[in-house]
Amino acid sequence: MSEQSSGQSAAPSVPPAGSGGQGGHSPQGGRERSREGGPGGGGPRRGKRQYFRKKKVCRFCVDRVDFIDYKKVEMLLPFVQERGKILPRRITGTCSRHQRWLGEAIKRARNIALLPFATEL
Amino acid sequence: MDERLYDLIFICRPTTPEEEIDKLIATLQQVTTERSGRVEKTEKWGTRKLAYRVAKNREGYFVYLLLHSTQSEMVKELERRLKVSDAVIKYQSIRIDEDLKRQQKLAKHRERRASRRPRKPATAPASAPPAAEQPAAAS
Repeated sequence: MSEQSSGQSAAPSVPPAGSGGQGGHSPQGGRERSREGGPGGGGPRRGKRQYFRKKKVCRFCVDRVDFIDYKKVEMLLPFVQERGKILPRRITGTCSRHQRWLGEAIKRARNIALLPFATEL
Repeated sequence: MDERLYDLIFICRPTTPEEEIDKLIATLQQVTTERSGRVEKTEKWGTRKLAYRVAKNREGYFVYLLLHSTQSEMVKELERRLKVSDAVIKYQSIRIDEDLKRQQKLAKHRERRASRRPRKPATAPASAPPAAEQPAAAS
């Protein structure tokens, strides 16, 4: 249990802190905003947000990767938790296409014992 | 007859003598040439730690082959040989030509787009990973 939580903290853990700080106030604020803003609801949210969240960019798109090689374990490691879980997109910021390829690569690497399915304690 | 590319990785017990592994690779090579295929690349990665225990081993000797095949039973036969051999504890063969084709297509597409808009020449050359490009060039 403690290992799993440390694995999460190793990744950029912005979202849990933000949602936890707002607590019960957020649904009310959202309703108010949509009433006054109308068409602007889809844009960047203004208001009670304490800090500005940096927009995450897909690392594979930046490097223009067209093929994620399952043999390069060092490349896959930052997208895997300590226990071997694949990190979700919302944490790593990977785009959907690359996440799909990444998942495939990680599963291939797992199959040939380059990456763990789950590390034993 | 379509041509296919395969990645074949197999793991031997760490206690296997080097000559035996070489012998195994040679027989695999023979099988591929018999079935009108060829071995594009052979890499011995050496003894590495396994991510999990395989047949009570925590380490294994990794061998990587890149194969070019024209007959579909070739891989089947190779896998059968690996399964039979005592030294091998795990193997995996993956067809990769479709992935590589997709990669080339995307690179071409990007190049064309970049040439259409010559505003940013610095970002134009497709900077695909060099190691991933090598098998594409070989095919």
